[in-house]
Parts: sequence; structure tokens; C-alpha cells
Amino acid sequence: MTGLELIRFILGCVFLGIGIITYAIEIIGVFKQKVALNRMHAAGMGDTLGLSSSLIGLMILSGLNLNTVKMIFIIVFLWFTSPVCTHLLAQLEVTTDEEFDSYCEDKTK
Amino acid sequence: MKKLTNKLLDWLNAEDQSVFDDAMELKMQEPKEEKEETVQQRMRDRLHIKDEVYSEGESKEVKVLRIIYRILAIILCGFIAYNLLIAVSWLPRTGEFDKPVNNEVSARYIEKGLQETGAVNIVTGMILDYRAFDTFGESNVLNIATITVLILLRRNKKKLPNEIEEKENDRLLEPKNDVILQKAATFLVPAIFLFGIYVILNGHLSPGGGFSGGAIIGAGLILYVSAFGFEKTEKFFTEKTQKVISLSALLFYCLAKSYSFFTGANELESHIPLGKAGAILSSGLILPLNICVGLVVAVTMYTFYCMFRKGEF
Repeated sequence: MTGLELIRFILGCVFLGIGIITYAIEIIGVFKQKVALNRMHAAGMGDTLGLSSSLIGLMILSGLNLNTVKMIFIIVFLWFTSPVCTHLLAQLEVTTDEEFDSYCEDKTK
Repeated sequence: MKKLTNKLLDWLNAEDQSVFDDAMELKMQEPKEEKEETVQQRMRDRLHIKDEVYSEGESKEVKVLRIIYRILAIILCGFIAYNLLIAVSWLPRTGEFDKPVNNEVSARYIEKGLQETGAVNIVTGMILDYRAFDTFGESNVLNIATITVLILLRRNKKKLPNEIEEKENDRLLEPKNDVILQKAATFLVPAIFLFGIYVILNGHLSPGGGFSGGAIIGAGLILYVSAFGFEKTEKFFTEKTQKVISLSALLFYCLAKSYSFFTGANELESHIPLGKAGAILSSGLILPLNICVGLVVAVTMYTFYCMFRKGEF
């Protein structure tokens, strides 16, 4: 393993690690939070940052070939869809939850 | 005699009013009205019963039972996991020659599959050539499921005056004409359709095929409906479209594969060229059959969505 390959391997591993840590935080948040919108925030973070950084790590590890282009397309597709999905879910939650106003109160006062 | 039959017909059509000679007025049942106080009293009673009569939260027996339940659940899970692991350890080892999966059938699929079916993707060659009637049965299962859902969930066409209001109320909370979703859908829907068509047409060359491609196209249709509403899809997809597409696809599948099996069993020449392996137009009947399966799957998915959401197309 020459120096350049070693650097590439370490860089890819770092990106993969960032992705895995983001997913771990996402899962902890989804199970810890009580209010649906807070849970959605945690899940949305994993959908965008975790997915993109782990896929970037895989791209760096695999080098420049057809699979890399496919991964770029996957990132573009999921960055298009998952924010829209989160937006719709949040809007539906706000319109249907009857106790929504009680969540928005400032409890520090 | 004529009078009698007329009377009978009137009675059958419920036009004969002489039955209700006592001038009994038929009236719709009025909805039951309740005072605010009785509702509150009922809620209070329910809470009272739960808390004080049964005292679910504090009873000692309940706590003991809960602990026993948890212990039993853990023991059951451990038992099942232990049995499954034991079963896995008894499986034949990977690559062993004598295990029952290694028979001449799979060897023939692998060795002569490309030569006999012309499909580069062996799986597609298997499910749409050697075992085509199995796939035909699966497509029919999808069609029967669609028919069942249509029977159970389709609404009557005759609209009651109250029902229009009800429909409005039911879908009041749905986000309609969401701008973000519409902008995203204008970019995504054509891309999803293209990808689905690519997966179907490349079924004999690369992983994919009718089932997965049809599911992708169905998902695209569902996205289109949820972004732009049923007014847009009614222009190209009605009940008649569903009937025509699934019936013609299934009939074509049945006829084409019957011909192919008939000629194959009687050692006749089938006159369907296999083509050059690796080209799009190759491998005989597999490409049209893939398109048929894809159409059936896409129509089924879209029909399910429409029935569960609205009850009509």
C-alpha cells in the first residue's frame, strides 16, 4: 500500500465513521425524544448528513468507476426526496395534532 | 290475472303504497344526542373504574404478573433463538457436493441457460422461460388481489347528498396542492418512470425485471397522484384502463407461453428467434413477457393506492 492509497483509505474510513456516528445519534434521538417533530428532526439529520457522508466515504474507497456515478445519483435522489417527505410529515403532524400548542410553550418561564 | 301480476310487480318494485295503509311515516333515524354533562360523567366513571375499582397501577398481583410475563418472554425468546442456532449448525456445509440442493436441475440452468433461453441474467431466464407458468400464476394472484380490493373498497357511484360533505371533511386535513411536493414531483416523476422502464427492458440483461420495474412505475404513479391530485390522473387512468391493461397483459402472457410450451413439448420449431445474447432485442419471448408482468404489477400497485385512499379512480 503506497502513501497515496493509504491516505485515500484513511480519508474514506473517516467519512464512513462520520456517517456511522450520525446514524447512531439519529437512532438515539428517534427513541429518546417524546414529541413527533423532535423525532423527525433527528431522523432528517440522519437522512441527509449520515447518508451523504457514508456514501462519500464509499465513493472515496471505490475510486473512479461506474459505481461512483451511481452513488452520486443515489445522493441526488435521496436529497431530493427525503426533505420533501419530512416537510409533508411535519405539516401533517402540525395540522392534525390537537395538543400541538402545548408543546410550543416556553417552559423555562 | 293481469291485475295480479301488476300488483306483484308493484310490490317487488316497492311502488305499492297500500302496504303502508296506516300512513306510517318512514323517517330516518336521528343521530343520538347527548348532553355535555353525561359525556363528562361517563369519562369520569371510566377513569374511576380503571383507577379505583381495578386499581391497575398499584395492585400487587398485577406487578407480580408483569414480572412473570417478562421472565417468560425472555425464556421463550432464548428458547427459539437456541433452536434456530442448533438448526443452522445442522445445515450442510457450503460447497458440499452431496447436499440436496446440488441436483441436475440447477446445473442445467447454469450450464445451458444462456444457450436455451438467450437471457444473460440467469434468474430472468429461469422465471420467465423454464418456470414461466409459475410467474403466470403470480401475476394472476396480483390480478385476483386487485379484484378483491375493488369488490371490498370501491364506493357506489350513486352519491348521497351527505356524502359530498363527508368527503370534504375526511380529506380536509390532507395537505393539498403542496408547492414543494409539486416542484419535486415535476423533476422526480419522469426520472422514476424512465428508471422503471429501463429496469423492465433490461430484465434479461441485468438484475431487475418485470416485478421490480413495475413496482417502480407504480410508485411513480402514486407520487404523481399525491402531488397533483386525482383530477390529473383521471384523464389517463380510469377503471377501464385498469381492466384493459391487466386483462390484455395476462391474456398475451397466457397465449404466448402456451404456444412456446406446446411447441417445446412436441419438439416442433417455435419460429421465435433467440437473437444475439446481450442485445436488447434478444432472448425470444422474455422481453414481451417482462413488459406484461411489469404492466400488471404497476396497475395493481396504483389500484391498491387509489382504493385505500379514495375508493375510486
